[in-house]
Amino acid sequence: MNKKQRAVQHKILSVLIVTVIGVWCLAPLAWIFITSVKPMGTEYRIPVEYWPSEPTLDNYRTVLGERFTIQRSILNSAIVSTGSVIGTLTMATLSAYAIARLKFRYRIHTLYAMQIAGMIPPIVVIAPTFVMMRALGLLRTYWAMILPNMVYALPLSSFLIASYFANVPFELEDAAKIDGAGTLKTIFRIVLPIAAPGIFSAGVLAFLGSWGEFMLANTVTIGSPAVETVPVAIQSLSRAFNLQWSWVAAGTVVTIMPIIIAVLVFQRVVVTGLSAGGVK
Amino acid sequence: MVLAFPALLGLLVFNYYPIIQSLLYSFFDLDFTTDWLNAPFIGFQNYATVMASDQFWYTFLFTTGFTVVAVTLDISLGMLFALSTFYVPKGMRGILRAFIIVPWAIPKVIQASMWRWMLNSDVGPIGDILVRIGLVDEPPLFLAERVLAMGSIVAAYTWKGASIAAFFLMGGLALIPGEVKESAIVDGAGPLRRFFSISLPIVMPTVFVALLYRSQDALRVFDVVYGLTGGGPGTSTDTLSSFAYNAYFRFAQFGRASTYAVVTFILVGAVGTFYISRVRRNFSFRD
Repeated sequence: MNKKQRAVQHKILSVLIVTVIGVWCLAPLAWIFITSVKPMGTEYRIPVEYWPSEPTLDNYRTVLGERFTIQRSILNSAIVSTGSVIGTLTMATLSAYAIARLKFRYRIHTLYAMQIAGMIPPIVVIAPTFVMMRALGLLRTYWAMILPNMVYALPLSSFLIASYFANVPFELEDAAKIDGAGTLKTIFRIVLPIAAPGIFSAGVLAFLGSWGEFMLANTVTIGSPAVETVPVAIQSLSRAFNLQWSWVAAGTVVTIMPIIIAVLVFQRVVVTGLSAGGVK
Repeated sequence: MVLAFPALLGLLVFNYYPIIQSLLYSFFDLDFTTDWLNAPFIGFQNYATVMASDQFWYTFLFTTGFTVVAVTLDISLGMLFALSTFYVPKGMRGILRAFIIVPWAIPKVIQASMWRWMLNSDVGPIGDILVRIGLVDEPPLFLAERVLAMGSIVAAYTWKGASIAAFFLMGGLALIPGEVKESAIVDGAGPLRRFFSISLPIVMPTVFVALLYRSQDALRVFDVVYGLTGGGPGTSTDTLSSFAYNAYFRFAQFGRASTYAVVTFILVGAVGTFYISRVRRNFSFRD
């Protein structure tokens, strides 16, 4: 086999691989999209229709209409995730600085306390957290989701940010101190800008984490559409309209689109964060 | 130390305190509305009851069995995906990575409901395709028959798990020096041979870490089960987490549920200890 044939073969095989993986990754999405443009009631037609004879956007009009709270759930998720990210990044940046830059007695313990917390199964903390939120009167509020979520994202965030801090040369910091800058000023002027990509990446991951979080949100919102986040809203929608699939499908498409776009836009950042957990 | 204080306080309130509290709950005969301090203290009675029940052992075995199967598939498929991104020409790499990352973006419980529609036995495309290519006469009852329901959960879980594993492994594969690969090609080693005798040994540490990382996730699996089968038929596809969740919030048995939760924690903790000891050297920031 000569070089040219080999190149052609390589190309064909590559296209095949990309197609197969693409089908696997996108098929469930494609299917809800197809279902979402089927006229109401035709989604149960047998034989299965792989493309409706009369595609329609009616389902979108319905689920975005007054009877549903899809837009509300997107807003709720945005509020909860943004609130959590602000909290996470503040706490994570401070603790990461301590872990990566300062010498203090319990430094290594702090580090372990963080990493152990990162592997705690949600089911072990859910009941006491629920009881706590009930005692504080925070059930059916954003706070019941924001406060725990900002802690859940801490381990990965602190670790990511700390590994960026660790790369800032100590000389740079010492020089700033000699010039008379205080600790806080040194952090803000010298260390933070260098660690910015790490902080950004931690922020994106924390945002996605609390966007997708279900167990806690489901437990503390107790069926209240005013505070339900996207995962809870879609779950209740598919329970309530078990027979109106095309509505549920339209609602799902609307709610997952923003996050898919966000992930594709921030792909590089997300990947850096994902692999930081274990590789190296 | 002061700088780490807010974070440590947060961990204490939302991670460490609730664990202790769950452990305490598990020693009481506790119902949902009961104040735990006033509930009867029954020591290890909940554990004894739970350990004596077939349900517990069934759920325990299902959870661990699920973990073994799902993680093996995650890592194997993930490895194929990761290798593919290196195999295809540069022009296709971007689109391939974009495909692989999409499942990762979907919230797990929505992932579950998407698969519920894929696997629907009347109008789901998977059953329909199996009928059309003549493998079966009738669409299988994916979510209503015990063994098929278990397989469905594995499939739905792996859909995302493979993607996560793929990105993990890409990081490891990227570290293999180009010269090593080239010299193997020059020596006339075929692709399979090259993978098993060169790439795999080099990325083995990454594979191992990915394995431990994914196992922790699989042992505490909840969303996919809750959204796909709801633990059904019956409680045959309940995992420790989903069973405990129902016991807490549907049947209001806080004491009983806490024992399931504590067992989950012990399992994940055991794997997690290995995990942390493996990635420990990443933590040496300043010594």
